[in-house]
Amino acid sequence: MNDVAIRTEHLTKSYGSIHAVRGIALDVPRGAIYGFLGRNGAGKTTTIKMLLGLTPPTAGSAQVLGMNVATERIGILQRTAFVSEKKSLYPLLTPSELVRFSRGFYPTWSDSAVEKYSRLLEIPMQQRFAKLSNGNQTKVWLLLALAQGADLLILDEPTTALDPISVDQLMHVLAAIALDRGCTIFFSSHQLEEVERIAEYAGFMDRGQLLLQSRLDDIKSEFRLITAAGNSLPAQTSTQVLSVGFEGNFYRYVVTSDAEGFAAGLSRGGATVTDVAPLSLREIFLQLVQKER
Amino acid sequence: MYYWKCWRDTRSFFIVFAIIAVVVMPVAAVVCVGTGLLENFGSEAFRSTFALIISFVALALGALCASEEFAGSTIHFLFTKPRSRAYFLWTGWAVGCAELLAIALVNWAAGSLTLGHYSKNPLHSAILDSAMIQQLAGAAIYGLYIYCMTYSLTVALRNGLRGLGASMAIVFGLPFCAIAVRWRWKINLPIPTVPIASLSPLTSNIIWMVVALLFVFAAQLVVEHSEI
Repeated sequence: MNDVAIRTEHLTKSYGSIHAVRGIALDVPRGAIYGFLGRNGAGKTTTIKMLLGLTPPTAGSAQVLGMNVATERIGILQRTAFVSEKKSLYPLLTPSELVRFSRGFYPTWSDSAVEKYSRLLEIPMQQRFAKLSNGNQTKVWLLLALAQGADLLILDEPTTALDPISVDQLMHVLAAIALDRGCTIFFSSHQLEEVERIAEYAGFMDRGQLLLQSRLDDIKSEFRLITAAGNSLPAQTSTQVLSVGFEGNFYRYVVTSDAEGFAAGLSRGGATVTDVAPLSLREIFLQLVQKER
Repeated sequence: MYYWKCWRDTRSFFIVFAIIAVVVMPVAAVVCVGTGLLENFGSEAFRSTFALIISFVALALGALCASEEFAGSTIHFLFTKPRSRAYFLWTGWAVGCAELLAIALVNWAAGSLTLGHYSKNPLHSAILDSAMIQQLAGAAIYGLYIYCMTYSLTVALRNGLRGLGASMAIVFGLPFCAIAVRWRWKINLPIPTVPIASLSPLTSNIIWMVVALLFVFAAQLVVEHSEI
């Protein structure tokens, strides 16, 4: 069995002269929780649309659950649940009616999951969709996705309009279904703290390019902030040094590999290295995006 | 499931117009009792009412069946269900078409019974003679043509009001265009409800039915190749 849930090769999407996605190569392992990060307009939603066959790529190819998106779209959709960035649904239907509507499409549909998650997320099941709050509308999308019994969940900004308690519940639910059912979760977000909480893997998108993708632990262990004081310290960036800042009497280096070696080099040059600290995901993301500008 | 959803969207409209289709002739007949209008103009009134109701329902159902499904806001939800885009398009079309047919049948049955009752003839000859049947069939096929065109335009434009507007412009504008072309270039443009060239009414009706279905096939091509 293929151990990759999503794989893209040189996936590209252009709208005339606008390059929304520029030849990205995603690799999402089966059973993983993958955070797909990027600013607004980075190309996350366009990538997701291509993965679901909603829009054809300009170039490149994509495989989802071992199936080719271009030729096996229906097979992919049978086993994939999706939460759209736009959380609108049929305004006159109630969540109960939306459940009734969706149920018939999926042989793996679980009514017990509907019962469980509607109670957990406190969704008013008999109220028309148009009358629900934005947060509850998002929850209905999530409910329909969770009850589908899918092998892959593709969630585009799933926490939009949710209150902190609901976000917390959702994170627990996602972590639990990934663990219990081995379900792959691919979710886009620009809320880095959410991703940091549950994701095992992360990919950073900016301006249509995939800047970095790896295990989250590897990403976090790779980047270090080195603070040093001294005279005539190097002030240029390099392949190893992502950025150099100067605060008070201290130089602040963000290095991408072999932080100890770099710090030792500074010490040998007469500098006093005061700190070698890890960066948060947010700081890493900002550094990578700023470097690309 | 999807049939249910389409029925759920249009049932209120269908029920209201089914009731109108049932009551319009009996009410008119009751109002006209003793005036002689029913005996002299009953068949004509019935034919006109039938054509008017079918045309209006065709326009409205065409826009209604497609407007919500293919609008920008919900299309992500629909097209990520494991069915082909053609399935959704033709299912929505079939539900609307069945409703249109049901309203036509109900109106025909109510009109026929009403005229039969008031003329003391259970099988009212004016309703069942071949010329009348031909005219009613022509009106029904014109209704189908309007329905298919409105549905297809709504799908292609992904907006109920735009689809309805475009369809109405064609429905009301085409006869004027045909007159203008005939007046200027002496060419008879084929328009629905009028037999094409020297073809029989039956052949013309079949051609117009095919044209109506071609609109839906064109909409299918648009939907299958559109970016969502």
